[in-house]
Amino acid sequence: MPPQPAPINVPDPILVLDRVSRIYFTKGNIFGRGAQRVVALNQLSLSIGRGEVFGLVGESGSGKTTAGRLIVRLEEPDEGSILLEGGDITHLKGRQMQDYRRRVQMVFQDPYQSLNPQVSIADSVAEPLITNRIGDPRDHLRRVLEVLDTVGLSPAEDFVYRFPHQLSGGQRQRVAIARAIVVQPGLLVADEPTSMLDASYSAQIFDILLGVRGQMGATIIFITHSLAAARYLCDRIAVIYHGHLMEIGPAAQVIANPKHPYTQALIDATPKFGRCEAVPVYGTLLSAPREASGLAGCPFFPRCRRAERLLCSRSYPDWHPAGPEQAALCHFAQPDHGDGEPAPGEACRLGGG
Amino acid sequence: MPLLSVENLCIGYRTAQGLLKAVEGVNFTLEAGSSLGLVGESGCGKTTIGMALMGLLPPNGRISEGRIVLDGVDLAALSEEELRAVRWRDVAMIFQAAMNALNPVQRVSRQMTEAISTHRPELGKEELLGQVEGLFQLVGLPLARLHDYPHQYSGGMKQRAIIAMALALNPKLIIADEPTTALDVVVQDQILKETKALQDKFHMGIIFISHDISIVAEVCQHIGVMYAGQLVESGSTEQVFYSPRHPYTMALVNSFPTLTGERKELTPIPGEPPNLIGVIPGCRFCDRCPRSEAFCKLEPPSWQEVAAGHRVLCDHC
Repeated sequence: MPPQPAPINVPDPILVLDRVSRIYFTKGNIFGRGAQRVVALNQLSLSIGRGEVFGLVGESGSGKTTAGRLIVRLEEPDEGSILLEGGDITHLKGRQMQDYRRRVQMVFQDPYQSLNPQVSIADSVAEPLITNRIGDPRDHLRRVLEVLDTVGLSPAEDFVYRFPHQLSGGQRQRVAIARAIVVQPGLLVADEPTSMLDASYSAQIFDILLGVRGQMGATIIFITHSLAAARYLCDRIAVIYHGHLMEIGPAAQVIANPKHPYTQALIDATPKFGRCEAVPVYGTLLSAPREASGLAGCPFFPRCRRAERLLCSRSYPDWHPAGPEQAALCHFAQPDHGDGEPAPGEACRLGGG
Repeated sequence: MPLLSVENLCIGYRTAQGLLKAVEGVNFTLEAGSSLGLVGESGCGKTTIGMALMGLLPPNGRISEGRIVLDGVDLAALSEEELRAVRWRDVAMIFQAAMNALNPVQRVSRQMTEAISTHRPELGKEELLGQVEGLFQLVGLPLARLHDYPHQYSGGMKQRAIIAMALALNPKLIIADEPTTALDVVVQDQILKETKALQDKFHMGIIFISHDISIVAEVCQHIGVMYAGQLVESGSTEQVFYSPRHPYTMALVNSFPTLTGERKELTPIPGEPPNLIGVIPGCRFCDRCPRSEAFCKLEPPSWQEVAAGHRVLCDHC
C-alpha cells in the first residue's frame, strides 16, 4: 500500500508536495551489472503554511536534502507534483521557470564552496538582481547595502568590496543568505546552513533566518539533522527516514512527546546539554539492524525495537494522529497500544559518568 | 603524578605577516583514565595543542616555551627521532576528517598491520593479522570487511577504523580531534559511547577537541574552554557548563540550542575573535564582552579560583 498523506490540515499552504518520489539509479560496472535503484524519496506529501519555518529532520541519506533540491527545482521529481501557491511547478520551463527561480531561493550547506572566491561581496550579492533584471542597475549597490545590513554585516560599507577569503565562515554564510534574500523570495530553503560552521555562529544564523521571516514574511524550509536546532528555529517539523515521512507536528510538541520510534531514537542520540533532568530514554533503536523480508512493510522495521515481525514487516503502517496537529506513521503509535511511557529518565548524562 | 601535564605552553606560527601566537601560556593536567574536553571556536588553538602533543606541528610552527610532560618525559624537548618512537605508541590521535585519514589505495587491513609492525617489527604476519582482527572486534567492525578498501566503508565505519588504529598500540593518551563532526547524530552517539567504553576498559587518558559543547559535555569529566590561544576557564564539566563564570563561556552556553527546558532566546556572541599576530596587552575577549571595562583592554587578566578546581581567567568574577 502506498503511503497516504499525513492527516494534517494546513490552511492556506504556500507549498504543497503531492506524493513526490525521486529515484536514483547507480551505474554498476561497465556491463551495467550491479546497478541499483535507490529510492531517495518515496511518495512524500507535505503542506507548508505561509510564513512558517518548517523543519525537515533526518539522518544523512534520509532524503531531506533531495526534498530541498526538488523544491527549488534543481531536480525534477520522478512522480508526483509540487505546487507553489496553487500553481503546478513540477515541470516548469523557460520564462516561467525563471520567475520561479526568483520566488524560491536556497541557502547551501557550505559557505566555503557556495561563494565564488574571485567575486567581491558586492558583486556576489548583486548578481541575482542582474540575472533577474530587477530594479535599476544604479540602485543595486544601495539594495546590496540594505540586505547586508539585514543579515547583520554592518557597517555594510566595510564588507562590500571584500572577497570571501577575508571573511569568517559565519560571515560567509551571512553573505550567502543575503544573496538569497536580495530578490525577495517568498520561500527560502536552507539546507543545513550551520553544519559547517562553529557552534558559536549557529545562533547568529538562526536569528538572521528568523529576522528574514519577520521582516519579509518569507516562508522558510530548514533542513537539518539536529533536533535541538529544529526545536529552536521551527514552528513545525517533519521527520524523514529513508525517503518516507515518519512523523509530523509542531516542533516543540514532537520533541517533547515523540510518537514514532525513529523520532525517539533521534532524541536518544542527540547529546543532551543543559538542564536534562526530564529527558527520557526511549531505547527504540536496535544496535544491529535485523533482516527485512520485503518492501511491503514499515521502512523502519529493520532497526525498530518495538516492531513485531508479523505485522511490521508485512504491512505499511497507517497514520495515527496525536492531537489535531501531530501524527506518526507507526502501527503502534496509538495511545492505547502502550507506546507512550518511555523508560523513566536516566536523566543527565553530563560529565562522562 | 598525573599522566600528562602541560606547563606554560606557547606555540607560534611564522607567517608572512609576522609571528602568529596560536597558543599562549596554556596549563593543564590529565590523570590516567580521565578525559579532558578542549572547546572553543575555530582558530582558538585547540587543534594546535593536539598537534603539538603528537609532535606533528607544521614546519612553520614551533613550541617557543613550556613543557609537555607525559609520564615523566618532556615531549617538547625530544628530537624528531625520539618523537617518532613515542608517537602512536604512547600518544595516538583520532583525526578530524576520518574520510581523508585513510589511504584510499590500500586495503584497511594492510594499513593497520603496517602501523603496528612499524613499532613492533618482531611480530609475524599471522600475529599482526590476529591483532587487527581483535581491534576490529573491539570497535564493532565486521571481520568480513577487513580486507576492503576505505571507499567501501561508510563514514561511521571509517571513523571506527581510525579509532581502531589509534588503539592499536595501546597508547596511554588519545587525542580525539573533532572525531564525529562529519557524522550523523545516530552514528555519532554510537561512536561516543564506544569511545567511553574503550576508555573505561583500557584506562587511557583522552583529550577531546571540539567546538560542539554538547558533545564534550557528554563525554568528558573535565573541560577547558579556549579563546584566542588562551585557556580562559577550566574545571569539572558541571562547574564549567552549569555555573560558567567567564563571560565567553557564558556566551557559548547561551548560544547553544538544547532539546529540553524552555525554548529560550539564544544570545549570539557578537563580533569576531582578535587577530593573533602582534601584541594583545589586555584581555582578549574584551571587545566582545558585555562586562568589559576600560582597564580590561590594558592589563592582562589574572586567574581566579572560584571554587575547588574551577579556575577562570577574568578579573570580573
